[in-house]
Amino acid sequence: MRDTVITRDMVANPKTKYGNARASTRHFITQRVTGAINIAFLIFLLFVVVRLAGQDRPDMVSVLGNAWIGLPLAALLVVVTVHMRNGMRDTLEDYFAGRIYRLLMLLNTLFCILVAVAGVAALLKLVFWG
Amino acid sequence: MTVRSRPLSPHLQIYRWTITMTMSIVHRATGIANYAGTVLLVAWLVAAASGQEALNVVNAIYGSWFGQLVLFGFTWSLIHHMLGGIRHFIWDFIIGMEPGQREALAWANLIASIVLTLLVWTVFVWMA
Repeated sequence: MRDTVITRDMVANPKTKYGNARASTRHFITQRVTGAINIAFLIFLLFVVVRLAGQDRPDMVSVLGNAWIGLPLAALLVVVTVHMRNGMRDTLEDYFAGRIYRLLMLLNTLFCILVAVAGVAALLKLVFWG
Repeated sequence: MTVRSRPLSPHLQIYRWTITMTMSIVHRATGIANYAGTVLLVAWLVAAASGQEALNVVNAIYGSWFGQLVLFGFTWSLIHHMLGGIRHFIWDFIIGMEPGQREALAWANLIASIVLTLLVWTVFVWMA
């Protein structure tokens, strides 16, 4: 999670622990739970894309504008962005450290928020305003 | 306190490529591809919400041969990453970690992802 500077003394001392036990466990469990939910998202997405690919707006509104389809899809999309941010954190932690890591994590968070907000706003618009 | 100098890690080109290593790398690569690919989904939803003209543009791009190629790759990427995730769930129960088993799981992951992608596109695109 928040990266610690690993010194030679820390490496030499077998009693030191790296990382944050609580936050890392939470990260692990979050990734498993959101990953499992994403299986449902993919099945839902398959249905939506097969039904609507290439279709015109009235058709999109009639399917996605149905609250029973649009709202669950919006909720699942938010779960997807949580999984995305968590997964990208794993990748960034492997290759970056320090200031550059924190900058990239900030961009990561902003990108995931942007995807979630744009997707949810579009779906809410379709559900409540057509 | 003295510290022995630690061995340097050799990089990818040193190792013989194994299927488990390859599928691990592909899992990460597909994760990053899916991360970027969400933009395709959100762009479509936003276009649908904003108006017919915007939706026409998105439909024209996604319907072009290049758009279809990207969407085919995105489908495979999503399916491969999902199956890779299921493989991790299996490992979480300490199943399938022995030699032979883990290679079989990795091959199954690759083959099933290709078969499922072709099946989805055959049933819902090419034959629809």
